[in-house]
Amino acid sequence: MSDPDPRPASPVEDARVRVWDLPTRLTHWLVVVLVALSWWTAETGRLEWHRWSGYTLLGLVIFRVYWGFVGSSTAKFTNFVRGPRAITSYLKGGWAATAGHNPLGALSVLALLALLIAQIALGLFAVDIDGIESGPLSLYVSFEAGRVAAGWHCDVFNVLLGLIALHLIAVAWYVLFRKQALVAAMVHGERSYPEPQPASVQTASAPRLVIGIVIAVVLTWMVTRAFRF
Amino acid sequence: MPRTLFRSAMFRSALVAALLVPVVHAATPVEAQKARHEHYEKLGKAFKAVRDQTSTDSPDFAVLQQNAEIVNEASVNQQQWFPKGTGPEAGKTRALPEIWSKPADFEAAQKMFSDRAPKLLAAAKAKDVDAVKAAFKDLGGSCKNCHDTFRAPEH
Repeated sequence: MSDPDPRPASPVEDARVRVWDLPTRLTHWLVVVLVALSWWTAETGRLEWHRWSGYTLLGLVIFRVYWGFVGSSTAKFTNFVRGPRAITSYLKGGWAATAGHNPLGALSVLALLALLIAQIALGLFAVDIDGIESGPLSLYVSFEAGRVAAGWHCDVFNVLLGLIALHLIAVAWYVLFRKQALVAAMVHGERSYPEPQPASVQTASAPRLVIGIVIAVVLTWMVTRAFRF
Repeated sequence: MPRTLFRSAMFRSALVAALLVPVVHAATPVEAQKARHEHYEKLGKAFKAVRDQTSTDSPDFAVLQQNAEIVNEASVNQQQWFPKGTGPEAGKTRALPEIWSKPADFEAAQKMFSDRAPKLLAAAKAKDVDAVKAAFKDLGGSCKNCHDTFRAPEH
């Protein structure tokens, strides 16, 4: 640095870096709200709402996967999914800070996303014990297969809850012991980093965002219609 | 005379009755529970079949009618599916003790089902999809009405 910083050097004065773009943050928090809503509607037997909640989650997950390929730099899978060597290196402290998911957190992202996809897919085929409530694609499977899907829909949810708990514990650990304001970063998109600061998020263009929303809405609509038009 | 005894109509009837006894003996509570479970599973399949047909743009009314008949028959027969002693005390079942401790309420809940089921069959026979959908929803309400009070939650 050639220009002397007039402020006193202090770790709390670390420079703020933009980490998450709005679409990624919005997707994250909508998933939180809708998983909670899906849970509550299932527990209280509000299956009509449960279906709508599931459809919205389907759209969000489709968008998140799309954004993982063509979205902002920190949302892209190729930019944060790393192999075992990088994970070991991160755990040993030999990993230079990059904006976004660390190599270990990447596993959590992939696992949560995979479980959400499995959970939504199972719900689409699930049939309740009375044959009254069912997912939109259940008309392509037998009553027995629909019952199996419903059983798994229940079991996978418990695994998902376990992973969510692990996610929350991990975030709490980073916030409390590593002093990394991860929750705030997911809210307003920014985080402070010590020197040397990593590069900020590179956002994706508006047309890409619009295309992603259209794909998510159209695909979800097709599924709710059971591909019959 | 023994010979006339063996040939007498009364003896033959008695013999037939004696042979039939093992066949028609009253089911044990566990057998009754199992039979009840199978009856409701058949009913669930019929409901799914109706729902599947109403989800398509060109429902098969023969399938609809056939399954609406299963539902209609079950709505009357289910009044026989809860003999005394087939509650949780007899084995694993989601049938709650209230079925037997509040017989009037249970009968009313069963009657709601048997009152509504004929409407589904009528709508299927009339080949009226909208009426089938409305009757199905109405019927689903009678299922829920009874299950809320008289069936234990799944887990």
